[in-house]
Amino acid sequence: MTQLSESVVRLIDQLSTLPGIGRKSAERLAYHLLRIPQDDALALADAIRDVKLNVRYCARCFNLAEQELCNICLDPSRTQDVICVVEQPRDLMALEQSGGYRGMYHVLLGKIAPLEGQGPETLTIDKLVQRVKQGNVREVIMATNPNVEGDGTALYISNMLQGLNVIISKLARGITQGSILELTNKEILADAISERRPF
Amino acid sequence: MAAEKTLAIVLRVTEFSETSCVVTLFTQDFGKLSALAKGARRPKSPFEAALDVLSVCRVVFLQKSGDSLHLLTEAKLERRFRAGARNLESLYAAYYVVELLGRMTDHLDPHPELFRLAVSTIVELDSAIGEKHELHTTISILLMRFQMQMLSMLGQAPGLHACVECNANLEETIDKKRVAFGLNSGGILCAKCKRNDRRIISLSLSALQGLADAMGTNFGINDAAVRKLPLGEMRGLLDWYITHLLGIKPTILKFL
Repeated sequence: MTQLSESVVRLIDQLSTLPGIGRKSAERLAYHLLRIPQDDALALADAIRDVKLNVRYCARCFNLAEQELCNICLDPSRTQDVICVVEQPRDLMALEQSGGYRGMYHVLLGKIAPLEGQGPETLTIDKLVQRVKQGNVREVIMATNPNVEGDGTALYISNMLQGLNVIISKLARGITQGSILELTNKEILADAISERRPF
Repeated sequence: MAAEKTLAIVLRVTEFSETSCVVTLFTQDFGKLSALAKGARRPKSPFEAALDVLSVCRVVFLQKSGDSLHLLTEAKLERRFRAGARNLESLYAAYYVVELLGRMTDHLDPHPELFRLAVSTIVELDSAIGEKHELHTTISILLMRFQMQMLSMLGQAPGLHACVECNANLEETIDKKRVAFGLNSGGILCAKCKRNDRRIISLSLSALQGLADAMGTNFGINDAAVRKLPLGEMRGLLDWYITHLLGIKPTILKFL
């Protein structure tokens, strides 16, 4: 028979289901929650409850939203005719935090990963094509992850958008600011050379 | 726990935690293995951009005993697969190569020749160019050559020169310029033996010759005679045969 109370054991069990949290970490978090004031612990519980009850995907761009449309789609000050395509809402957040982009988004909710059995039908690509076909879109920026699966996803989407009178661009890639040329990987250097631009 | 160095093709990358991932590699000297790459997802990871599917890299890993994951300590990118940004057919064909490597080989069972064949196939798929039809033909040839040579190296090559059950001459297996290929028997069958195999595929003589040639080194993408072969029929048979061997249809086939 366990020496801990049933509620504490249940809390530890639930916490240890979270990614990156093992049994020991779950126990530490549970003891922390037992130590902090009741209001603080219940605020965390309420936040978890609210996010599960209220948050859904935006009907237009599939970002996280609490209404039918997300805050970005509802913001009239943003550039409406440029759509940046990302794999996940967390990629959108990263781009927003960069402060360098003020257009609209489209979240794919994944990537085409044939080796995992994930095809284009599992993503929101059809909805993106519909958005572009409805007009008023000047440019689509592919901001999928810079790896083989991300590139494949971007290429598939750009093939789908061919002939729709829209500029298709992708994020630049190559050497990072502050790095040293002679120590840069030759493949990354090759990317930088092939994607050079006028000075 | 010795540190081992080898060349490797990245077959699969799976997220393990916020900063680490598990990679499945097909290595030149140790065959297939899975290893934990700690910190691989950090911005300044020691693995740079090496751990991407289809990349060829030079790795250092600590070999663990038993069922434990090996520990990857270094990975230096040697060659990255770039065709994924240019044409999807090359990309999906290369995915098929790594899926077959993953499914057809066992952990820590080295096949250095198969490793070299896989790298050269991936490199050729990466550099394949041409109009849609031309490219499709080139990719079919590369895939078939890889499949036949891989099967041969793994001791699973189909019997194409005589009845695989009774060893009757090839001439005795021909019926109206076609031969019967028995999936269960793993090769061509004479009229008498084919009655015992419930999974028979009829194959033209030119497809049969083409499959036999694909095991040799002269099965080149620029050879006009090779490009005129019934490549669709040959690929169809090979895909059936490999599906039969694996007991499961490779995931990538529906994309090809």
